[in-house]
Amino acid sequence: MSENYVAPAQQRYLRACMVCSIVMTYARFRDEGCPNCEEFLHLQGSPDQIDSCTSQVFEGLITLADPSRSWVAKWQRLDGYVRGVYATKVSGQLPDDVRTSIEEEYRTTYIPRDGSATEAD
Amino acid sequence: MASSAPFQFAGDSDSDEDNFNPAPADLSDDENNATTKRAAVMTDRRESNPAVDNDIIDEEEDEERPSKSASKPTPDDEEEDENGDEEAEDGEDGKNGDDEEDEEEEDEEEEEDDEDEDVHRHRRKRRKDHRAAFFDIEAEVEDEDEAEDEEKEGEEIEDFIDNAHPDDIAESGRLDDDRRHRELDRRRELEASMDAEKQAEILRARYGKRAPARGYGEMAVVPKRLLLPSVDDPGIWAVRCKEGKERDVVFSIMRRIEERAGSKDEVPITAAFERGGPNSVMKGYIYVEARRQNDIMIALDGVLDVYPRTKMILVELKDMPDLLRVTKTPNLEPGAWVRLKKPAKHAGDLAQVLDVTENGLEARVRFIPRLDYGVRDEMAAAAGKRKRPGMPGPRPPQRLFSEVEARKRNPRQLQGNPQTNTWTYAGDDFENGFQVKDIKIQQLDVKNVNPTLEEVTKFASGSEDGTENLDLKALAASLKDGSTNVTYVPGDVIEVYQGEQRGVVGKAVNVQGDIVTLRVTEGELAGQTIEVPNKGLRKRFKAGDHVKVIGGSRFRDEVGMVVKIVDDRITLLTDQTNTEITVFSKDLREASDIGGQGSLGQYSLLDLVQLDPTTVGCIVKVDRESMVVLDQNGDTRQVMPSQIANKLPKRKLAVAADRNGSEIRLDDVVREYGGQQRQGKIIHIHRSFIFLHSHATTENAGVYVTRAGNVTTIAAKGGRSTNPNAGPDLSTMNPALKRNPAANSNGMQPPKTFGRDRALGQTISVRKGGYKGLMGIVKDTTDTHARVELHGKNKIVTVPKADLIFKDKVSGKTIDIYSRSGRGGFGAPGGGGYGDRNGSRTPMAGNGGERTPAWGAPKSVARTPAWGRGETSGSRTPAWGDGSRTVNPYDGSRTAYGDGNRTAYGGATSYAGGSRTPAWSSSAKTPAHDGFGHGSKTPAYGAGSSGSSNDPWGSKTPAYGASAPTPGASGPSDSWGYTPGPGPSGGGSSSSHHPYDAPTPGGAGFGAPTPGALNAPTPGGAYSAPTPAALSAPTPGAWQGGWGSAADSAPTPAAVGAPTPGASGIGGGIGGGGGGGGASGYYGAPTPAAYGGVPETPAAGGEMRNADDD
Repeated sequence: MSENYVAPAQQRYLRACMVCSIVMTYARFRDEGCPNCEEFLHLQGSPDQIDSCTSQVFEGLITLADPSRSWVAKWQRLDGYVRGVYATKVSGQLPDDVRTSIEEEYRTTYIPRDGSATEAD
Repeated sequence: MASSAPFQFAGDSDSDEDNFNPAPADLSDDENNATTKRAAVMTDRRESNPAVDNDIIDEEEDEERPSKSASKPTPDDEEEDENGDEEAEDGEDGKNGDDEEDEEEEDEEEEEDDEDEDVHRHRRKRRKDHRAAFFDIEAEVEDEDEAEDEEKEGEEIEDFIDNAHPDDIAESGRLDDDRRHRELDRRRELEASMDAEKQAEILRARYGKRAPARGYGEMAVVPKRLLLPSVDDPGIWAVRCKEGKERDVVFSIMRRIEERAGSKDEVPITAAFERGGPNSVMKGYIYVEARRQNDIMIALDGVLDVYPRTKMILVELKDMPDLLRVTKTPNLEPGAWVRLKKPAKHAGDLAQVLDVTENGLEARVRFIPRLDYGVRDEMAAAAGKRKRPGMPGPRPPQRLFSEVEARKRNPRQLQGNPQTNTWTYAGDDFENGFQVKDIKIQQLDVKNVNPTLEEVTKFASGSEDGTENLDLKALAASLKDGSTNVTYVPGDVIEVYQGEQRGVVGKAVNVQGDIVTLRVTEGELAGQTIEVPNKGLRKRFKAGDHVKVIGGSRFRDEVGMVVKIVDDRITLLTDQTNTEITVFSKDLREASDIGGQGSLGQYSLLDLVQLDPTTVGCIVKVDRESMVVLDQNGDTRQVMPSQIANKLPKRKLAVAADRNGSEIRLDDVVREYGGQQRQGKIIHIHRSFIFLHSHATTENAGVYVTRAGNVTTIAAKGGRSTNPNAGPDLSTMNPALKRNPAANSNGMQPPKTFGRDRALGQTISVRKGGYKGLMGIVKDTTDTHARVELHGKNKIVTVPKADLIFKDKVSGKTIDIYSRSGRGGFGAPGGGGYGDRNGSRTPMAGNGGERTPAWGAPKSVARTPAWGRGETSGSRTPAWGDGSRTVNPYDGSRTAYGDGNRTAYGGATSYAGGSRTPAWSSSAKTPAHDGFGHGSKTPAYGAGSSGSSNDPWGSKTPAYGASAPTPGASGPSDSWGYTPGPGPSGGGSSSSHHPYDAPTPGGAGFGAPTPGALNAPTPGGAYSAPTPAALSAPTPGAWQGGWGSAADSAPTPAAVGAPTPGASGIGGGIGGGGGGGGASGYYGAPTPAAYGGVPETPAAGGEMRNADDD
């Protein structure tokens, strides 16, 4: 019923999307893609892409029940995303080409989730 | 609903994406999936970007209206038309592509709304009112953030309602007719003022960047400071949870949220998060965002490992952003140093990063392998033990990979290329001896690596040509974040090399935590005191400074002079080895000491160390890892600290004798006798070897070793006598004396007494200290102190016994309660003598006076050495004859005797009375004495004696009794008898004398005290009958026993034995001598007497005798 729940035994397979920081198991990324970023990350069915665009190194889990009303979501810039579990920090860097394509093709500002963005503020 | 929600969102995001790359298919998706939920989301989104939305709407209408508004004046119509147009436009947009993003978005917004309406019109009708209210609230909230003008907001709402319910409006008879009209008017105005294209362009300029990023980009643009929490945001509470279970809790909450979503008991929180982790300060808590605290109780009730019922902490508004603060993990750069966490075998080992994967999540590192080439496995296999993976056991030491070794042990697992020196062994890769491995960064310690130069050098020396290619720059980078381990102490000269104060140089005056307070010494700030975080600081040295390496490198403790400074790397020339070393300035301190480190571990220069069970040596040189030791045979050898058994502590009291027999001690200055005549100060004495230190030579640090017997004293420390003739001070070497430090050479203290301290109950006066002159009574004693109840003050004070003067209770005269003579008083003469001065040993060692050698009190001379013994009494002894004198000899205690003969006796009486008593009693250790003291016996004696001698005797009696009691006493009694003898001679003052006289013969008997003698005397006088028997009987045994029992005089016994016989002989002689011989009789007597005196022991016998007498 609850697909975002991950049993402790499965948590070792968790990965976090480097763009939206959603945390899911590898299998879900592979089967469903990233619910927020699939359009430009194309993770579904693409292990390579999953490897490069998601990270096993993340910390600070957030469970978002109501992204629209939560300040946490707003602060983390997660409002507008789907309900689910996110990470406060995702280590790792998006491959440059992906990053470029996001920013140019989709006119999107990529927010690094690894903590380097916070220092700018 | 729960299950469908994510999907919808996915659809949603798809539609968002459509903006950038719209696909018609999405539209249909949206239609299919449109739900109220989604509508809400959309609304929110709009609200969050009202400007966009409104403008979009405006624009749409502007664009459309020119053609349509006129013909279709009613809003309803307009809406419908719009919808139709939009759809048409969408199709176009799809073709137009990205260029018209703005419009697309607008279109989409509209479309969605319309679609919703179309599809769910009926459902919505029913819910509309509630929701409208709800959204209204939402809108207000959002407005605060976005600061949009009210007009637009109103418009939006209006718009929403209109859009949502076009039919309703139509049906309900144009509820919002007026508003619509107004809006239309406004739009027309706008339209009029601006041509569509232009406006589109403006819009694009304003929002072009933002709109497409709706997924996340739109938020990126809003600075964080605008996102700061407000009072309208939900609160965040910290809730305790089980440490380490934070993630599980978060997932559990997620599950609960999803399970209950859509049901009537939906989880009322908006978010929950954790910032756990083994090193986090926030572990043990999860943070829950909710409107009310009670919501959290509901949400978390029954969730495992979280404890909402314990006190929740509401996080303050200003602290909320900090909860989510994220600090970037420093990027790994090739060349950086890290520590391995993961392969357990290598945990903590230093590794160097060779390469980092693009996403920064994995690094290729090289480190020094810990291989045993299967040795341990073999052993384990041999032992038949199963390998336990959890227990790594002792790990092999770090060693570079050895192809040879591997080939030898396990050739099958080895593959590789000798040319490039790359190998694969047992699944691991090795390059140039290093193991190379890809490791995830979470398995690396990136912070606080603090590689020591020593560790790093191992990597550096691995290069093929053997040159050190140490990259200090990389090392410095690794060390940079480890600034915490830099310690500044007040006095350090410090330079600020980072931050605003950069370039400032000053002297640290205070260091508190990370803040260093500097007194600026240079530049325009000179004289000011500033505080700087120690992050951007480094110690500053000048070329020529004398510095010491204090840590962090293998050069620790080297001292040298700074010759070159490059940034924070300093090259110095070491004092000891004259080599150049390069270290970081943070590892240096200004050195005050010169020369080598002088210590290695616990060993330092000039220490005496045990090399093997028979060899000791003195450390004469300390190197970094070894030291040079001069052993007792004069050989030097280089040893490692591990070769040293232990360090011998300096024995300050060690004493040796030089060749003259003078004692020599540490720090004495001595000169070798013969040989090189070297002179030096003694630094160690070990058995017969002495280690000397001389400033005259630098060989072996000026240390040399010689035998103690081979030196002569030049100067003794502290000016001890160095007279070679003086010989060693035996008194300080005599353990017997050591035990009783109060004793001194010229006289023993009263032998230790046993049993009740004689001082108890004595009247004393204090002769020293604050209580000087006060009188009191001893209430209690220890070995050294007495508690004295003062007469003058109602107070009990503690006074050293040595400061007490014992007084006669009655007469107030000073008495010596400890003197043996006390009892001797009785046995007086003899015993007393013994007891007192000579102490037991006197006799023997004594002065060796030939005379009565045994007795021979040193000075007292021949006379009655025994009596006289120490003091004048000797002379008196004769006095004994007088009787009165006798007194004197006795001293205080005797004093009693002193009273005239008779008197003396009388005194004796007094004794009996008890003044003596104490004395007696003291001597009396032996119960017998007590008896005496108490006079209980005495009476008996008295009786006996009185019978014969009457008063004097009577008086004596006690004395007698005393003497009597002891078998010895009997002897003494005899002696007394004798005494009397002398007495008669003296003055014959007392008739009693006669009786005494009688005894006198006894005197002979006196001598008799010795058994034989006794016998003799016995027959003698008045004693006659009783005495003899009694005497004889007791005496012998008594004596012995007496002495033996008199613990004090351990030596005594011997003395006794010896003298006695002699005495007896003498006694015999005396006896023969008669009165005149009295003296001699004493002689003889004394001995016996002495014995007798002592022997209170015999007392028993005495008593018996007394009884007999009676």
